[in-house]
Amino acid sequence: MVISIKHAKFKFFQVIPLFLLFYISLNGSSTLDFKLFTINLHYILVYFWILRRPEVLGYGFIFFSGIITDVMFGLPLGVTALTLLIIAAVATYVRVVTVRVGLISDWLGFIPALILASLIYFISLYFSGYTIDYLYLIMNSLFTFTFYPLLWALFTFLLNLMR
Amino acid sequence: METSREDIGILIRSALLKKGTRQRFSLIVLIICSFILIYIDTFEAKPLSYVRSVLKDTIYRGSAVVSLPSNGLRQITGGVKEHLELFDKYKKLEKENNELKEKIIDPDYLLFENELLKKLIQDQVYSSSYLVSARVLLDKQSPYLNSFIINSGSNKNIKNGMAVLDGKNFVGRTVDVNFFSSRILLVTDLNSKIPVIIEPSGHHAILSGTGTKEPVLDFLPKEHTLKLGNKVYTSGKAGIFSPGIPIGEVNKIDNKEISISLFTDISQITFINVNLQKERD
Repeated sequence: MVISIKHAKFKFFQVIPLFLLFYISLNGSSTLDFKLFTINLHYILVYFWILRRPEVLGYGFIFFSGIITDVMFGLPLGVTALTLLIIAAVATYVRVVTVRVGLISDWLGFIPALILASLIYFISLYFSGYTIDYLYLIMNSLFTFTFYPLLWALFTFLLNLMR
Repeated sequence: METSREDIGILIRSALLKKGTRQRFSLIVLIICSFILIYIDTFEAKPLSYVRSVLKDTIYRGSAVVSLPSNGLRQITGGVKEHLELFDKYKKLEKENNELKEKIIDPDYLLFENELLKKLIQDQVYSSSYLVSARVLLDKQSPYLNSFIINSGSNKNIKNGMAVLDGKNFVGRTVDVNFFSSRILLVTDLNSKIPVIIEPSGHHAILSGTGTKEPVLDFLPKEHTLKLGNKVYTSGKAGIFSPGIPIGEVNKIDNKEISISLFTDISQITFINVNLQKERD
């Protein structure tokens, strides 16, 4: 009985990141807009969970979530999916090479992930003939990096609840 | 040296090629799929459009359902805020009403004059039968695209490139038409370029979106005589839109740019009209 309750609790908390992944895609709120700055919640969510608990977010789910975001934002299909998968790839690589897990190592690994993702985003949109505000893209990446520790703490708390 | 290169190779292989814990797809396969999808998206073939249409319609409807709680919450907070501001609004409207009463003149003459002038510029006074009304289904402001989704598509004869009006004011054009939904690219978006005419000077220009609430006028003659408050209308040049649809008025002139304030507050749109005239022509 105790085991089944524990298992149910584990399952419940395990579903939260996946639910969040699809909710922010369908709700069009993958980029949180706080007037003065914006944070890409999608990037942080994918990076953190692939780094810490990859079985929670499947690569296939990340791909579909990216497709939904593309449709919601009116971008060419596949652009966000590709950037999210790049983030996931960097997170997987960081997970393989990192021995000690901690905020600083996670945070530092997030820099190449953001640079690569923004670069891919820029190139894909440029060749698809979309004009976007590049300054916005840079500022968004900067603030996403800056606010990573805040969400890291929140997700780590959720991760602890799963144990 | 050789060993470290091998190590990196193993690392990349394990990161990208292996499916990993409980993963059904490998990353590299999905990345390749994304590239293929981006490439395919540039093609305009009927079966592909059909698939895209079904996918987008489904996602828009799904999003509308998912957004119900947050929209409900927004409506409640908006309602409370509106009630709190009611008295101030009433006072403001009372003041405005008194001012308007003082300024009132017989509008019949102005209406008559307006009709005559419209005939003079051979304006097509479009009838309401050319308009299709639709409701805004989703208004999720994309960080990169100022647009919204309406609940009508090719089922109501809407096609790409048609003018979208809020009342009689121009707000944007259709850019992505599905069966039961369409995306409207707002005049404020960076990708929006609309040929316009400015009254009373009669100068032609291109109204370019800037991503902010105030689009700017490009390609004006160097010696223009624009003044604050000059009205901006669609010019109908190149046959893209009907001429004479009001857009906004000049509200800032400086050396670098001339910005326009729109007649419509685009953040407050609930219903719009799509002008089907392009299709009928």
